[in-house]
Amino acid sequence: MSTQIDEYLEAEIQSLLTDGRVAELGITVHRREHQLVLGGDVECENRRDEICRQISSRFPDVEIVCDIGIIRAQAPTEVEEIS
Amino acid sequence: MIRIAAVGDVHVDSDVLGRFRPALEELPDQADVLLVAGDLTRHGTVEEARCFATEFGGLGVPVVTVLGNHDHQSDQQSRVVDVLTASDITVLEGEATVLELHGTRLGIAGVKGFGGGFAGACASNFGEREMKDFVSTTEVLAERLQDALLSVQVDALVALTHYAPVPDTLLGEPLEIYAFLGCYQLGRAIDAAPTTLALHGHAHHGSERGRTPGGVPVRNVAHPVIKQAYNVYQLLSEEADLELVAT
Ligand SMILES: [Fe+2]
Ligand SMILES: [Fe+2]
Repeated sequence: MSTQIDEYLEAEIQSLLTDGRVAELGITVHRREHQLVLGGDVECENRRDEICRQISSRFPDVEIVCDIGIIRAQAPTEVEEIS
Repeated sequence: MIRIAAVGDVHVDSDVLGRFRPALEELPDQADVLLVAGDLTRHGTVEEARCFATEFGGLGVPVVTVLGNHDHQSDQQSRVVDVLTASDITVLEGEATVLELHGTRLGIAGVKGFGGGFAGACASNFGEREMKDFVSTTEVLAERLQDALLSVQVDALVALTHYAPVPDTLLGEPLEIYAFLGCYQLGRAIDAAPTTLALHGHAHHGSERGRTPGGVPVRNVAHPVIKQAYNVYQLLSEEADLELVAT
């Protein structure tokens, strides 16, 4: 039986991301036809790859599109004056 | 003039080691102190606290933090605090600290804070025991912030929290989860003191700028929001100008 892409699947993915080793609360999950699109930002590539790996291994018949970005960590070039 | 570097939600574990360090090495040229607005670690383990201390410690400027919800995940928060404190990183849990910087006194009062929501859409201290416990936690932590803010006599006063004190900086988050991202009680505590600036994290999809109802500038410094290693805020600029005039 193939996995239904519905709101319950999205909820299950959210809880997979928060319960397990991943601990990412800020990942968005959107349906696009028969695909699941993952969005949001994480701190490093390992973490992004781990998220996609965990979801793919739990739901092997769901097509995952990973749009998760890596947050830049360069030094700032501007100062904001607070008044 | 004081320059404050700030970031939150860095969620450090061994995977993140080295990501922030190159920018942090430049920090002492750009700011007098670094404030970190919680979610220092990914799961709140002692090992991750050590990773945070390695990445953010020994900078040559004071580092002052509050914990976030992630730092409570493994129920080891007191050991996490011990690890950080041993690395000269200050963790504020409803207290204030005062730093003397270039002859100016900077006060930082910090607490993790909690959810509860904002005017028109907030939880009340009513009903089931679980609900009353939830809102009591919110109220107690906000009171501790207020007491901490009022406990110091300083030239500039910063409130540091993980949870948001206003809804302005949540813009971009789903409305349905505002009540889990912050509470009005923190804003009220900030407005009850002569606060110069309020910094928070936690709202990864929120926006950067807001103000409390009392007019205090609020900045969401969650790393996914600021999208750089840290932001730098300049306080007491007028006094710098006056000093230039006087000399
Ligand atoms: Fe966070
Ligand atoms: Fe958080």
